[in-house]
Amino acid sequence: MGILLFITVLLIAACGLIYELIAGTLASYLLGDSVLQFSTIIGCYLFAMGIGSALSRYIHRGLAYRFVWIELMLGVIGGFSSAVLFLAFAYTQGFQLLMYALVVVIGILVGLEIPILMRMVRERYHFRDVVAHVLTFDYLGALGASLLFPILLVPRLGLVRSAMLFGLINVGVALWSTFLFAWQLPSTRVLRALCLLVICGLGIGLAQAKRITAAAEDNIYADEIILARDTRYQHIVLTRFKDDIRLFLNSHLQFSSRDEYRYHEALIHPGLSAVPAPRRVLVMGGGDGLAVREILKYPQVENVTLVDLDPEMTRLFSTHPMLTGLNQKSFLSPKVHVINADAFPWVDTSADSYDFIVIDFPDPTSYSLGKLYTTAFYKASARHLSAQGLMVVQSTSPMFARDSYWCIVETLKQAGLKTYPYHVYVPSFGEWGFVIASSHEYSPPTLLPAGLRFVSVDGLPTMFQFPPDMSPMPMPPNRLNDQVLVRAYDQDWKDISH
Amino acid sequence: MKFTRRKFLQAGSAALVGLSVKGDRPIAGGFVNDSFQMGHLLRDRASFPPPRRTEKHAVVIVGGGIAGLSAAWRLNKRGFKEFVLLEMNQQPGGNSRWGENEVTAYPWAAHYVPVPGPKATYVRELFEELGVLKDGVWDERALCFSPQERLFLYGRWQEGIEPAIGLNDKDREKFRKLEDQIHRFRASGGFTIPMERGLSREQADLDRVPFSEWLRERGMDSRIVTWYMNYCCRDDYGALAADTSAWAGIHYFASREPEDKGPLTWPEGNGWIVHRLLERVGSYVRSDHMVHHIAKEGRGYSVRVGDTEYRAEFVIFAAPTFLAPYVIESFAPLKDFHYSPWLTANLTLDRLPATYGSDPTWDNVVMNSPTLGYVDAMHQTVRSQVDRTVWTFYWALAEGAPAANRQLLLERDWSYWKEAILRDLERVHPDIRTCVSRVDIMRFGHAMARPIPGAIFSEERRKLADLDGRLLFANSDLSGFSIFEEAQYRGVGAAEKVLHHLGGSS
Repeated sequence: MGILLFITVLLIAACGLIYELIAGTLASYLLGDSVLQFSTIIGCYLFAMGIGSALSRYIHRGLAYRFVWIELMLGVIGGFSSAVLFLAFAYTQGFQLLMYALVVVIGILVGLEIPILMRMVRERYHFRDVVAHVLTFDYLGALGASLLFPILLVPRLGLVRSAMLFGLINVGVALWSTFLFAWQLPSTRVLRALCLLVICGLGIGLAQAKRITAAAEDNIYADEIILARDTRYQHIVLTRFKDDIRLFLNSHLQFSSRDEYRYHEALIHPGLSAVPAPRRVLVMGGGDGLAVREILKYPQVENVTLVDLDPEMTRLFSTHPMLTGLNQKSFLSPKVHVINADAFPWVDTSADSYDFIVIDFPDPTSYSLGKLYTTAFYKASARHLSAQGLMVVQSTSPMFARDSYWCIVETLKQAGLKTYPYHVYVPSFGEWGFVIASSHEYSPPTLLPAGLRFVSVDGLPTMFQFPPDMSPMPMPPNRLNDQVLVRAYDQDWKDISH
Repeated sequence: MKFTRRKFLQAGSAALVGLSVKGDRPIAGGFVNDSFQMGHLLRDRASFPPPRRTEKHAVVIVGGGIAGLSAAWRLNKRGFKEFVLLEMNQQPGGNSRWGENEVTAYPWAAHYVPVPGPKATYVRELFEELGVLKDGVWDERALCFSPQERLFLYGRWQEGIEPAIGLNDKDREKFRKLEDQIHRFRASGGFTIPMERGLSREQADLDRVPFSEWLRERGMDSRIVTWYMNYCCRDDYGALAADTSAWAGIHYFASREPEDKGPLTWPEGNGWIVHRLLERVGSYVRSDHMVHHIAKEGRGYSVRVGDTEYRAEFVIFAAPTFLAPYVIESFAPLKDFHYSPWLTANLTLDRLPATYGSDPTWDNVVMNSPTLGYVDAMHQTVRSQVDRTVWTFYWALAEGAPAANRQLLLERDWSYWKEAILRDLERVHPDIRTCVSRVDIMRFGHAMARPIPGAIFSEERRKLADLDGRLLFANSDLSGFSIFEEAQYRGVGAAEKVLHHLGGSS
């Protein structure tokens, strides 16, 4: 019986350590700052073990019975801990609270194990030998677990299944203890039945672990995901809820099919309708083909050049039936030429000139995107404008990112252009801003293509009026060597979310 | 019982953090562009062939670094064409040489010029000519892009190299004190670039003490401040603060008052400037021409390269001044010229390492590393997507005696240095070995002048700098420290002296 007992010690030590490592790793993955996460979790866990050891003195009788119960509870709580935490992170606000609560409960239970076990066997061995043997195997178990965890468990099984596997071991210990200590137990039948029940539960969990992680990830996007693709440049996700199709690039909403016409009509028509006889149009960004769809409403336009970085993106919007339905197969028009290139080097090297230039990039969330919002980029782009040409720039929200919006306006001014800022309301975005820029005077058009759903001749002048809460802010220009816009944009959104 | 169990729990966590699977990826590379062999031929006074051919030139410039090329630039700009420039290496440029591979161009040493102040008139003139300065506005594309610099400390990156996180009140107080002092020195007008424009006897005392001692005496030494001061001295002088003259240490901070957010930099570093200079004066440059003997000959000088003798009325010696006693006949040994050994490496990265929540910057420094970190050659690209790059890794061998470090540079093989570099980078980029495909290393025994105490106000230095005869010296080491602006100032200055003797511009 001796060796069996010590193997029990070894196994429960391993289980205890694994739960702690899982909590620490999970917190590092999900919250970042691994030093802080590991330190606080180890601290809480050790402290809880201390509480457990202290509490063990209040257990007087029925040691074996309680030991089996502790193992069962550890099996359930520890086994499901990782799955519960993943789901809690996706669906609730209380991830950290739950995590520390779980760590404390598991710590207390683990703290109870060894003192109780030692007392259970003290009759049979010298105290000296008990301490020596129990502790030796305790530490051996810890060593084994700490090596297994990074080498085998995390890469092969993942966190959810590792926890469940060790939950099974805890329950296994419980079951085995009903045999090992049968003579100390009042009734073994109920305990064994319970053990089998928990083993079944964990077994099912182990088989379904993939679905649990998937469920956790799904909830970041509220709707059904109809397409998710990692390209070389970005993470493209398309979702659908009833008739609403939404495109996310790197988790940022790009459009909702319910109101994108507002955005794209406002992006194109105030500018393009004001250009006399536009023949050549350039679009930078806009790989969804929706801006091109609006441009093709002008029969006099002979050539549309679209420069977008990601070939996967333009291919998707040229071929996917649901998406070509949205952009009315604009990429398939013989007038349209798609160039997959990085926009800045492209404008630097291209020599063509255009009557209308559309600059429709993702918001300046990083320094690399911020380069496409600099005086240098606007100067380089403006070189491609024909004498009567106009340029329009997607410029974030003058409401939610007011500093950023007016920073873009100032940047265009410093690039030597006259600016005409305007804004519209797009329900899925809120108030959204654009800037028309040119080297000559601009006035809103008096004639628009037929069949527009949002932009109208009467409504145009109001777009150029800014109420006090969106009125101009004094901002420096965004330059390659001093990207104030990226910092302003970051700050604007921080201010909104706090 | 719990104490020991706790130790195991901690060991368990340590194992988690420490055990990661390493990809074994072959890394190519080697030493490149070594000038050791040639330098040692001069040092050991090897025998060279007697002259068989003679060429006559009004002016011979010895050395094709920034000083020599700047002398050529000025002569050529003034319409004077009676000269040649003799360069020992295959590639001119000296400390501003650059390389290029299928990913990008990259520097081999000097990689930036701080935005010049109003006193650096020659530098401003050059940059106006090159289109970098137009109507008083610096070209945005030549200024270092955002974000410029970052420092890794306490397990994370911060923006900027001056430590800003984890400071206690004492550190802050010391930094404030230093700033006050620097402000005072800046206002004094004694610390300028070029240094000759402001150099004043009033500050000669500062040149007698090591910078570290000067800081300590004024209570500006804490662990953090000292690290930063050492970093700055290693970066500009290749020496620790203890081996740097306090005057030079102060000059580093007090001489610069940028009028725009800089510095000026290009993917190939100052190689970009060399490139532009060579477009103008390349036809005068003779590479692979090692001068082994210079002697007085009639009114002028005889300069020998291999079996060719160049007869010149004027010689501008723009090579490092320490070579003069080995090359120039009956030239007295020098005692005040000291140099720091350096090593640079260009690492080709086939993919970028994980970013760990910080935007990659141009200059990346790690606190408490013996090296100076790395500069990203692809930083100055206007592309918004970059997946391959070249990092230039800088390592001034500042700890210990320069002579011993030179020995070390020579003795250790490429794989020793490659491993040392990768291990240093692994501290901040654990996945670096899976990214790097090449490590090319360049060794510089005498990379740059080392302004030890006494170097700035040295009589020897002053005498050579002030020479106004038919043999002129022009290397940046005549300023006591090696920076682009000083090299250019000395080079242009020597050319001006020659033109003056020859009767002004033609």
